[in-house]
Amino acid sequence: MQIAMIGNPNVGKSSALNRLTGSKLFISNYSGTSVELTEARVKISNRDIKIIDTPGIYSIYSHGEEQDIIRGLLEEESIDLVLNIIDATNLDRNLVLTLELLELNIPVVVVLNQIDRSRAMGITIDSQHLSQLLHCPVVTFSAISGEGLMELMDILEKGVLRFTKGIEAGIEHIFHLDTAQPGHCSGDCRNCSITAETCMNIADLQRAEKARTLSKMVSKEQAATEKVWLQRIKSIIDRPVIGTALLLLLAYLAFLFLLKFIELSEGPISSLLEPVNIMLEGFITGQLPPGLITTILAKAVPEGLIIPFTIIMPAMLMVSILMSVLEDTGLLPRYSVALERVGSFFGVSGQAVIPLSLGFGCRTPAVLATRIMPTEAQRFIIITLLSIVIPCAATLGILASVISTFQASLPVIVLTMLGTLMLLGFILSRLMPREDCFIYELPPLRIPMWTNVWNKIKMRFSGFFTEVLPLLLLMSIAIRALMESGLLDIFASMEEFTRLLFGIPAEAFVAVLITIFQRYLAPLVLLNLSLSPREATIAISMIALSLPCLPVMVMTVREIGMKGLIKILAMGFATSFCVGIILNIILP
Amino acid sequence: MTIKDMQVGQRGKVARILKGSTAERRLFEIGIVPGVMVKLLSRHPFQGPLLLEIGNARIALGRKIAASVEVEME
Repeated sequence: MQIAMIGNPNVGKSSALNRLTGSKLFISNYSGTSVELTEARVKISNRDIKIIDTPGIYSIYSHGEEQDIIRGLLEEESIDLVLNIIDATNLDRNLVLTLELLELNIPVVVVLNQIDRSRAMGITIDSQHLSQLLHCPVVTFSAISGEGLMELMDILEKGVLRFTKGIEAGIEHIFHLDTAQPGHCSGDCRNCSITAETCMNIADLQRAEKARTLSKMVSKEQAATEKVWLQRIKSIIDRPVIGTALLLLLAYLAFLFLLKFIELSEGPISSLLEPVNIMLEGFITGQLPPGLITTILAKAVPEGLIIPFTIIMPAMLMVSILMSVLEDTGLLPRYSVALERVGSFFGVSGQAVIPLSLGFGCRTPAVLATRIMPTEAQRFIIITLLSIVIPCAATLGILASVISTFQASLPVIVLTMLGTLMLLGFILSRLMPREDCFIYELPPLRIPMWTNVWNKIKMRFSGFFTEVLPLLLLMSIAIRALMESGLLDIFASMEEFTRLLFGIPAEAFVAVLITIFQRYLAPLVLLNLSLSPREATIAISMIALSLPCLPVMVMTVREIGMKGLIKILAMGFATSFCVGIILNIILP
Repeated sequence: MTIKDMQVGQRGKVARILKGSTAERRLFEIGIVPGVMVKLLSRHPFQGPLLLEIGNARIALGRKIAASVEVEME
């Protein structure tokens, strides 16, 4: 037997699911889409029941991947009961979806969630009356306090028993127009002169009105019991100026926190791994015959292990925590609103400030954080900007040491980076399809349910061992192979070419290529050359605006696939070379 | 007048959604339908979004969308 949880966004479906089932949750990706469904299995009345949590939607008849999937679920007769979770403080709107679901002839149980919050706001709802009016069970519920859990389990048990007795409902789609209105609905859609769209509109508006009427009939509002000062504090975050400042401050703190976290964890973990690496290298050289492949493997395998454990693992953990907290407290959509103007220049949501500011600390977790972006296209834009332009702390450190040694021009480098950021962002935003429709609901700020956060962390972090580690190992070997193969030596003989285009000696160009692949080699390679300040400025700019380090590439493959990575690599090379050529032309 | 022309703190009743609005369905979803009361809470500077209170929910609208919702002041 399968139960689907359906409701508006932010009503607390996940929290309710948590209450019902504890933490035995599975995440499944709906095939062919980026929509993820969370499932849980419980035993009710001695039967195995699967409860499916769906993405929040406002109406099952709207366009969109989530809506299509939910309609698919309902149409394929695979759902035997619908748990409609509604927000007790917003009955008017929530009941519209309820009315749509009730028309489908699948048993519906309405869960009036956040009942504690509505009481604090002074709202009383007569759930018995509502149940009579809707002709279905209505349970007052609070996922936070657990109120209503027994009653809900009771109703579900009865539902399961009925299901077991073989009373299954068929599914029919009927637009229930009010037949009291003459000339409106004959129920015969094929011969009707009203277009489907208009018919839908009329039905929608009638449902909206009915929802409002029902809500008024069953609710009573009195004085709120929640303290006024608490409300005021919560409202500060929504003030245009102060709120935006606070949100930016939070992003900055997240960046600082990430830096600190990496700093603290890197030390202990690498000293733990040092002996393991030496042992591995020795083992490989000992077991395999001497030769190119052995050298490659001996170096690449330990390399492929150090980085994931010292940098990626702690970073992914920290970012998983950060993202879960941002989502569950209700802060995330506020970034979209506060930074809408800036975001629209780059064609992205204001939420982009989170991964971008994390990127200044370390770009690997920043790429993971791009999951909060609303669309694939926006994720691609931010990952591109992160990969090519945003300098992480490690990069900044390298740049600082090289700049001072060669007396390269800092202002030129900074301006070049800023200019590239604006230009690249602008170009990307025009190339991607833009949705011109800015409507966001800001859920009330709240303290997250920690079991929820913990579940999210577990699910996000679990990919580390199964996906990230093997990929990193593979790519590490590939890059080592490239470098040891002597391919790069070809470029060493192209002195005229590099001087003409970029104004730098061929050695410097090879150095640029090497550091692109292995960032931490940069100081070693560059500092061995003698470069004039002009040459150094160009070389450094080319390095800073090129490709990200290996872990970032691995995360990119994981998030947007190999094709996405190749596109970004191509853009990275193109950017680097263009920057070199242009600077060569402009600089005196 | 439209939501875009409202003053901060004002209350109005949604009269109709102007034709040609691509966001009609999304407006309906979020609860902005004829007959509903809205209150303007704040405006973001530089032509940024407007924050509305509808019932007990807070909804942010872009200026362009806000200009397509006609309201009657109370």
